[in-house]
Amino acid sequence: MVLNELGQKISQALSMIQNAETIDEKVLDACLKEIVTALLQADVNVRLVGKLRDNVKTRANNADKGAGLNKRKIIEKAVVDELSSMLSSGVDEKKLVDLKKGQPNVIMFVGLQGAGKTTTCTKYGAYYKKKGFKPALVCADTFRAGAFDQLKQNATKMSIPFYGSYTETDPAVIAAKGVEEFKKQNHDLIIVDTSGRHKQEDSLFEEMRQVSAMTKPDLIIFVMDGSIGQAAEDQAKAFKDTVEVGAVILTKMDGHAKGGGALSAVAATKSPIVFIGTGEHMDEFERFEPKAFVGRLLGRGDWRGFVDK
Amino acid sequence: SFVRNITTSVVGTAALTREDIVPALQGLKKKLMERNVAEGIAEKVVESVAANLEGQRLGSFTRVSSAVRSAVESALHRILTPRRSIDILRDIALAKARGKPYTIVFVGVNGVGKSTNLAKIAYWLLQNDVSVMIAACDTFRSGAVEQLKTHCARLGVPLYERGYEKDPAKVAFEAQRAAERNHKDVLLVDTAGRMQDNEPLMRALSNLITVNSPDLVLFVGEALVGNDAVDQLTKFNQRLSDLATDAATAHTIDGILLTKFDTIDDKVGAALSMVYTSGAPIMFVGCGQTYVDLKRLNVKSVVRSLLK
Ligand SMILES: Nc1nc2c(ncn2[C@@H]2O[C@H](COP(=O)(O)OP(=O)(O)OP(=O)(O)O)[C@@H](O)[C@H]2O)c(=O)[nH]1
Ligand SMILES: Nc1nc2c(ncn2[C@@H]2O[C@H](COP(=O)(O)OP(=O)(O)OP(=O)(O)O)[C@@H](O)[C@H]2O)c(=O)[nH]1
Ligand SMILES: [Mg+2]
Ligand SMILES: [Mg+2]
Repeated sequence: MVLNELGQKISQALSMIQNAETIDEKVLDACLKEIVTALLQADVNVRLVGKLRDNVKTRANNADKGAGLNKRKIIEKAVVDELSSMLSSGVDEKKLVDLKKGQPNVIMFVGLQGAGKTTTCTKYGAYYKKKGFKPALVCADTFRAGAFDQLKQNATKMSIPFYGSYTETDPAVIAAKGVEEFKKQNHDLIIVDTSGRHKQEDSLFEEMRQVSAMTKPDLIIFVMDGSIGQAAEDQAKAFKDTVEVGAVILTKMDGHAKGGGALSAVAATKSPIVFIGTGEHMDEFERFEPKAFVGRLLGRGDWRGFVDK
Repeated sequence: SFVRNITTSVVGTAALTREDIVPALQGLKKKLMERNVAEGIAEKVVESVAANLEGQRLGSFTRVSSAVRSAVESALHRILTPRRSIDILRDIALAKARGKPYTIVFVGVNGVGKSTNLAKIAYWLLQNDVSVMIAACDTFRSGAVEQLKTHCARLGVPLYERGYEKDPAKVAFEAQRAAERNHKDVLLVDTAGRMQDNEPLMRALSNLITVNSPDLVLFVGEALVGNDAVDQLTKFNQRLSDLATDAATAHTIDGILLTKFDTIDDKVGAALSMVYTSGAPIMFVGCGQTYVDLKRLNVKSVVRSLLK
């Protein structure tokens, strides 16, 4: 995956420090410049990148004063710490992924237009179906043309029951009915798909609040396109301010984009990335483990395969 | 210090050196990136401005920072101002005189807004008394055909569709014949979204374009995209020309439709990345989810947002 490439670049930059005879301002600046450029090219938020740079410099300069400290180690650790704190939300993502069977888990999907919610909803249902859950899908998107057909066709492909309406126009009403219906039928995973929306349109956010209020989801997942740029933070924050976002799924990671925009979504929503989408097909969906990623960062060893398929 | 600030910011008649301009340029580069211009593009813009400014003499009391800023401003204007302009309505009229439907193919990565903005273009054409047919050549994504059916019903426009899993190039071919038979002025061809690195899908798209020789290939890109904008445009253009059966007649991107412009506030940088990379003009801007949300790019206001 592409975050790997970012990891590699950072490793390379850090090796400049390893290989330098003495570590002066010049070496540090050159190393930081490479790291900063790699992060910016991966769409990490410009302000976050600046912060990382300043913090590493401060720690390196402080190390100058302390006698006998290994400056190489300090700089390396500073870089890794800063990156880890960008990637980790402080929430253990395992708890969010390990759903309890036999009780109705209501999961609501939200996100910007075209992010991949409808596709990911079914992937998510299929993932848990394999683990023995009884998933069901509710289409609470009454806005987008063909939205219900899309969900229906995906659900049918994966043999997952679905609920929706061609005539009801209030998504909150559909969502509530669908959830109630599937609870009665003892489904233990009820997934609610919603319309795409953006923070600039208040009425869309109000609608999202209503769907959430009517369905009382156990988890709200923010779906984000892996190629998103600098608008990521503002949008993610606005979603979080409106509903209780608890997890992030990053989509379209089979593309060329490096997924750095999502790091600001992690920061803004204080929610971990739990899965990534790696293609249009229903099985192109992987668990994401931030810890494993950070672990690799600390070990600076093998950058490949830190996601478990 | 205060004195140093004064003496370095007012250069007087001495020629500008790189040291004079670098700080101001770095500040502007950062600003461009904050506005979502791709890193590589921001770097190239400031680099070319630096090369131009170096050795120039400023009038007394002109601040280096304002000289740099206005140089960047005019560079941005230059980049964003289309080198070639396409008058679609005129070209449609010409095609009509020849008795051929004018064909527009919409291409781009997944979920950027191809189908929705195709419907907006249909609406705009109808407003201009141009008759339209739509071809459902996304035969892959669930609901893609029904999505267009809904739009066609609302717009009162015929849809040419053959359901799913058909060869899109063939559907487009048949749709062109149908549009001709039905004396439609324009055929709008929807295609499936695809990642620029997906070789088989890019090959299929190239084939669709080669077989059907459309009048216009519109690349649909979203304003939300970050650095990937550069790679998308580069690879779509590259793949379309590499994979064409006959390099001489290869048809690459003619214009850009920039969508979701209503979701990014002042982070308008994708517009710059896309135009800089492809040299293609931004012909339309999508700024909402209804039929009327289609605009022309206002270069001045984009430049203003970039530097604000
Ligand atoms: N390549 C790739 N495409 C994906 C992935 N996930 C979703 N897509 C595609 O992205 C496009 C948009 O996906 P949707 O699921 O319709 O997105 P959405 O968020 O439901 O869109 P709205 O409901 O309109 O807001 C479709 O073409 C999907 O096939 C992924 O992981 N990789
Ligand atoms: N806010 C906003 N949303 C838009 C705009 N254009 C399209 N959308 C929304 O983006 C989502 C995806 O639009 P589609 O037209 O289905 O995108 P597509 O490129 O055809 O998607 P695929 O065919 O799956 O690749 C829908 O929810 C649209 O309503 C726009 O200009 N502004
Ligand atoms: Mg959807
Ligand atoms: Mg489409």
